[in-house]
Amino acid sequence: MTEMLSITLKVNGSEQAAAVEPRRSLVDFLRHDLGLVGTHVGCEHGVCGACTVMLNGRTVRSCLLFAAQADGAEVLTIEGIGTDEALHPLQLAFQQHHALQCGFCTPGMILAALELLRDNPDPTEEEIRVGLSGNLCMCTGYVNIVRAVRAAARNGKAK
Amino acid sequence: MSAQQKWVGQALERTEDRRLITRGGHFIDDLTLPGVAHAAYVRSPHARAKIRHIDVRRALGHPGVYAAITGDDVAQLTRPQRGRVPLPNSPKVYALAYQEVRYVGEPVVGIAAVDRATAEDAADLIEVEYDPLPAVIDPEAALKPDAPLVFEEVGSNILWHDTFPYGDVGGAFKEADTVVNERVTIHRYCSTPLETFGVMAQYEAATQSYTIWGHTQQPAQDMHVLAAALGISPGKIRMIVPPMGGSFGNKVRPLFIIAAALLARKAGRPVKWIEDRRESLLALGHAADGIMEMSAAVKADGTVLAIKFRNIENEGAGIDFAARHNLLMLSNIANCYRMRAISYEGYSVVTNRCPVVANRGIGKPFMCFAVERMIDAVARALKIDRAEIRFRNFIQPDQFPYDTPSGQTYDSGDYPEMLRRALAAIDYEKLRREQAEGRERGRLLGIGIATAVEPGGSNLSYGMLVSGPSQLLSGQGEAARVRLETDGSATVFTGGLDSGQGHATALAQIVADELALDVKQIRVATTFDSASHPYVMTSGVYSNKFHGHDTVAAIGAARKVRDKLLKRAAAQLEAHVDDLELRDGHIAVRGAPDKGVSVAQIASRAYWSLADEQPDGEPGLEALYYYSNPLAKHPDEKKRVRVQLGFASAAHVAVVDIDPETFEIKVLRYVVIHDCGRQINPGIVEGQVHGAAAHGIAAALLEEFIYDENGQLLTTSFMDYLKPTAADLPNIEGDRLETPSPLTLLGTKGVGEGGAVVAPAAIASAVEDALAPLGIHIAALPIVPSRLWEVAAAGLKRYENARK
Repeated sequence: MTEMLSITLKVNGSEQAAAVEPRRSLVDFLRHDLGLVGTHVGCEHGVCGACTVMLNGRTVRSCLLFAAQADGAEVLTIEGIGTDEALHPLQLAFQQHHALQCGFCTPGMILAALELLRDNPDPTEEEIRVGLSGNLCMCTGYVNIVRAVRAAARNGKAK
Repeated sequence: MSAQQKWVGQALERTEDRRLITRGGHFIDDLTLPGVAHAAYVRSPHARAKIRHIDVRRALGHPGVYAAITGDDVAQLTRPQRGRVPLPNSPKVYALAYQEVRYVGEPVVGIAAVDRATAEDAADLIEVEYDPLPAVIDPEAALKPDAPLVFEEVGSNILWHDTFPYGDVGGAFKEADTVVNERVTIHRYCSTPLETFGVMAQYEAATQSYTIWGHTQQPAQDMHVLAAALGISPGKIRMIVPPMGGSFGNKVRPLFIIAAALLARKAGRPVKWIEDRRESLLALGHAADGIMEMSAAVKADGTVLAIKFRNIENEGAGIDFAARHNLLMLSNIANCYRMRAISYEGYSVVTNRCPVVANRGIGKPFMCFAVERMIDAVARALKIDRAEIRFRNFIQPDQFPYDTPSGQTYDSGDYPEMLRRALAAIDYEKLRREQAEGRERGRLLGIGIATAVEPGGSNLSYGMLVSGPSQLLSGQGEAARVRLETDGSATVFTGGLDSGQGHATALAQIVADELALDVKQIRVATTFDSASHPYVMTSGVYSNKFHGHDTVAAIGAARKVRDKLLKRAAAQLEAHVDDLELRDGHIAVRGAPDKGVSVAQIASRAYWSLADEQPDGEPGLEALYYYSNPLAKHPDEKKRVRVQLGFASAAHVAVVDIDPETFEIKVLRYVVIHDCGRQINPGIVEGQVHGAAAHGIAAALLEEFIYDENGQLLTTSFMDYLKPTAADLPNIEGDRLETPSPLTLLGTKGVGEGGAVVAPAAIASAVEDALAPLGIHIAALPIVPSRLWEVAAAGLKRYENARK
């Protein structure tokens, strides 16, 4: 059998220790080993952004990273950005503005928007469109996603 | 007692969203079973080849590998598949390539192993020897007598060919002042759901039965395709379809369900297969490419009397969707126009490309593109403004319901008002002035117009045009079951599916009104399960059918439940049913305010107190309703058939700016005025309008499956097959017009596909308008700078010389 690598990392604030195959991707580790299936796999070649998570505070494509590369890191996924009792303002804005249809891109899109608003709390429509252009949505034509991000920015709480 | 109208019409937030914005967890790849194995496929590297030998021994010896199946196994264990429209001369097609491969990416060997990576490792150990053969890629080349045959047993590459003369076409051409000819083409593209295809199959040896969790848009049909392939009773199959991460017509490849079922049986454990993106682009299915030749008989004032069409549809190497693009084009062949005569000649041609599937609008985007290009060509020939030519040819608001030459019944609409509003929204006159001024400075600004019907709900009897009246499958309808729970809330089950349309929210709004409950008290069971959800063979999510079928089925079941509820209440309250008032979960007796009972109390007794007298003859509060649309009849002797059953409409106006040096096309503005009749949830409708228009815009400007001359697909990643990002698409502006359909219970018409049907025509019109100074004619999709440059170089030189 393949040699396993021991890793420890913090996922959504909780310490995880695991033994992974060297070739285990971060997204497969999150989904299949930790059961955090909110992060999705759309292309596995780094274009679609469905697998976007935060690694040490920056968005990354978790399909292009090995789990072993996240050893010692802090990972944030969609499951970690709000609670059922208190949704994150971006989550609320997506719901209020019909910014999702099938919802498959939504977790990655929300993570990308989270970073965008952290770096630029009051973006123009153009800046939102460019800021989210690393994430594909096949359903919405992006109109309502842009609206939702603007609304969350206006609320000023989405940092 | 009439239903209250409280929830229908409100732009409520969707009930689906909470789960999707927090943790997901219901998509096929999120589901698992103990001991599940994972599948991978060995796929054909050749467009056409004989399979000489397959050796799976090394793969089977690899640690962690459970089973492998080849085409020989599949041919032994299953019966050949039939197309959805069964062809009289159907070739034999199996889930895996049998003896011959016919397109690059065709599955050849399936393998099941402990995990996906191991399955892929093992797939690399399988040796397949091929004898490559010449392939045919181009549909016109496929028609030549010496062309290689994709299916030798058919004897030609034409799977189907027929002509449809509607009205006095010859007379119209005699009467014409001018004849305008056009030849247009459409390319291969696909709306590519972000979630790829997936299936998980479990076989229970003790009962020889299968449970399938998997993707389909027609669960009942695909269940029966599997049963027919395996030669077993459909009752031995439990089909579960979880909500899908988009589908757009594409997830209709039962071969992957059949292969997973066989692998599960052979491996002796459940098998899951999740397609990867390359596999999806290569071989899930594309919209058909096609070539359309047209000839229009036109009066000097711009009135179009008749159009003759000849279409060659490239099916690729499949039979699943044979002839379907062609047949569905009969639904929008007259588009918004009064022409009284039409002839259509259609060819379904096979080539060594990926088999076609439905894709948002199937066939209709090409037909709309063709008709709208023709209308623009007529405008150009007669020097009439592009908006004006449409006003002159529109079916008028007082002509509805309107029967078209091919037999469609347009239910309602106001096409002139629709276009007037779109022109006003974009400020057409001002834009034309800006355009004229810009042209003085060499600016290439273009305004494109497309007006279109957006058909909804297909009448599957149209298949009889190919397979004859003995075809079993006909009509259109849906099934629904509504159960009032003991707490007075309700649960809805239908044969429809979810792939992002918000149907659960819309159905909850409808049923809440019927049962006078709060919308939060209605749950819709969105994971279809053949063990719990009712179905008919037309069930599923496709062809914009929700608006007039799923809705009516749910209303029918809800009304049955309401009748049962009121009967029980009448008995308990010792009142007449007609004197009861159902409101907000409570039943009162008119004129006796102190007498009343809650819905929960009645419902509770209906399930708990079986010793009670049962006013309805049975306990429980649940009802089933099967709906068949009475408009959906067989074709008549003149080959007229209502291919589709409801006709929404839209006007799209696009403004583009083209860089005169690079030919980069920028969409500056995009306006959609659409009319889908009464709206159940305007928030959902708006999202559908945006999304569909985006699909059409991207299909016109970015997306293309490109094959080389050997049949190799060159665009197998999102680096090569370009999807639009937020930065590539315009804001989609617009508004609605609401002409309720008199032919549906709620006045609704379909909305999901529409924008994808219309947008390619609007974009082409805008680009051609921008390039008018260069004399460039847009007749082919997609419209990409490199190709514009090729055709424009000569024209640009002429233009610049003229301006000097």
